[in-house]
Amino acid sequence: MSVSRAIRHAKAILTGFKYLLAGPRLTIMYPDEVQELPEGYRGMIEYDWDSCIKCSLCAMVCPADAMKMYVSREESEREGKVVKRPGINYTRCIFCGFCVDICPTDSLKFTKVHDVAYYTYEEQIYPPVEFRKGVPKPLYFREPRRVRAVLDERRGMRYEPADGS
Amino acid sequence: MDSLKLLFEPYIFIPLVFPGLIAAFALLLIIIWLERKIAAKVQLRYGPLYVLKPLGGIIQTVADLLRYLFQEPILPKEVDKVAFLMTPVLLFGLSYLPLVAIPVSPTYYAFRSDVSLLIVLALTTLAPIFTVVMGWASNNKFSLIGGVREGYLVTSYEIPIFLSALSMAILYNSLDLVEIAEAQRGLWGVFLNPIAAINMLLLMYMSTSRFPFEIPEAESEIVAGPYTEYSGIIYGLVMGASYVKLYVLSLVYSILFLGGWNPLPSTDPLVAGAVLFSKAFLLVALGAFLRAVYPRFRIDQAISIGWKIAFPLSLISIIISLLLVMGGVSFVGK
Repeated sequence: MSVSRAIRHAKAILTGFKYLLAGPRLTIMYPDEVQELPEGYRGMIEYDWDSCIKCSLCAMVCPADAMKMYVSREESEREGKVVKRPGINYTRCIFCGFCVDICPTDSLKFTKVHDVAYYTYEEQIYPPVEFRKGVPKPLYFREPRRVRAVLDERRGMRYEPADGS
Repeated sequence: MDSLKLLFEPYIFIPLVFPGLIAAFALLLIIIWLERKIAAKVQLRYGPLYVLKPLGGIIQTVADLLRYLFQEPILPKEVDKVAFLMTPVLLFGLSYLPLVAIPVSPTYYAFRSDVSLLIVLALTTLAPIFTVVMGWASNNKFSLIGGVREGYLVTSYEIPIFLSALSMAILYNSLDLVEIAEAQRGLWGVFLNPIAAINMLLLMYMSTSRFPFEIPEAESEIVAGPYTEYSGIIYGLVMGASYVKLYVLSLVYSILFLGGWNPLPSTDPLVAGAVLFSKAFLLVALGAFLRAVYPRFRIDQAISIGWKIAFPLSLISIIISLLLVMGGVSFVGK
């Protein structure tokens, strides 16, 4: 019994050695390598000011209360009635995509930007006027290499340099 | 010039430079980095990397040491101050003290005694006392639990490790480390008595709480065991102490089982020391590697390994040695 146990211990140590000599690591060196994101990635949301019909469906469907309708002051003064437009609060957003799906005119669209840092809490709340300016560009120290995740039979996952971009 | 000559006198050089304080310190800095790096490689990650990137972050430990040095050592209000502050120093000192009795080559040693193996083993057994005292002095339940666990483990590893080491003394008919290493000029001890070798390797990692037996300082259960309340350079000392103890035991193990400085390319003490050090370093690195392989044993599993497996194996190894001696294998030096 103890002999079989000793054999199992030896097998465990050999497995450790096998991995010690195994090939590349699975880590992405993030600021230097950036993963190519798949089609339909749910990143930060961009807003098209002109095609929006102010139906407020996005604010209603939002499960985290991130989308809210804000009074658009200039338009309200111009038209003489209360006009509301959507704004987003990224501290609450869970990137579920309901607002993008429900938008009848496709004014809300997903971008592939997901790596933005903020200094203050207030910066993460976009009222409509800020919201129309589009998503911030992520700042990289150097131009990153683009890599793509590839499924591998033996290792589970590999990263290959992405062609294009 | 005179003082430099004095430095290379064995009774100064051995405790101070090699295999003493400076070598132990350098090994400490390298091995902590190596442990993180090996565990990272096995788990398919990069370990420490961004400090001196071309060499894979090798001076990360130096950065950590500087941080420890400039950190405020916090002294909790209710601790037993003398015990709390003195135990790390004594623990580190006693972990490193046995190095004075370890010879570097057949002609280069601090002192030669008939019982140097016993001296080294006896000095290594003093460290656990201070671990228990540390746990008691910290006035913290986690520290106390860790100290008591260390006490549990001491009972289960101390006897077999002695018996395994002494079985080699029986085989070589000597307690003198120089004679034991010289007797292995042709054949290393690990081939003569493999049971004792495996057993002592296991117990070495058990006594310094390397990973399969990382029971006293179990991170997921008792924050850091006896070291919970320590901070700053005092924590650096207690953390380094177990590595130094492992280094000492690895040197003893190399002399007992791996032929010490054999095969000796030349009679120069420097070459002999390099051979001995590389063997010990490999053993310490193996202990670092086990961290990536094993989860922690339960206390009852570790103690039953100590009493039900290691203790009978050490008795068997003594019987093997006796049979070899009775069978006419004789290594009486010179």
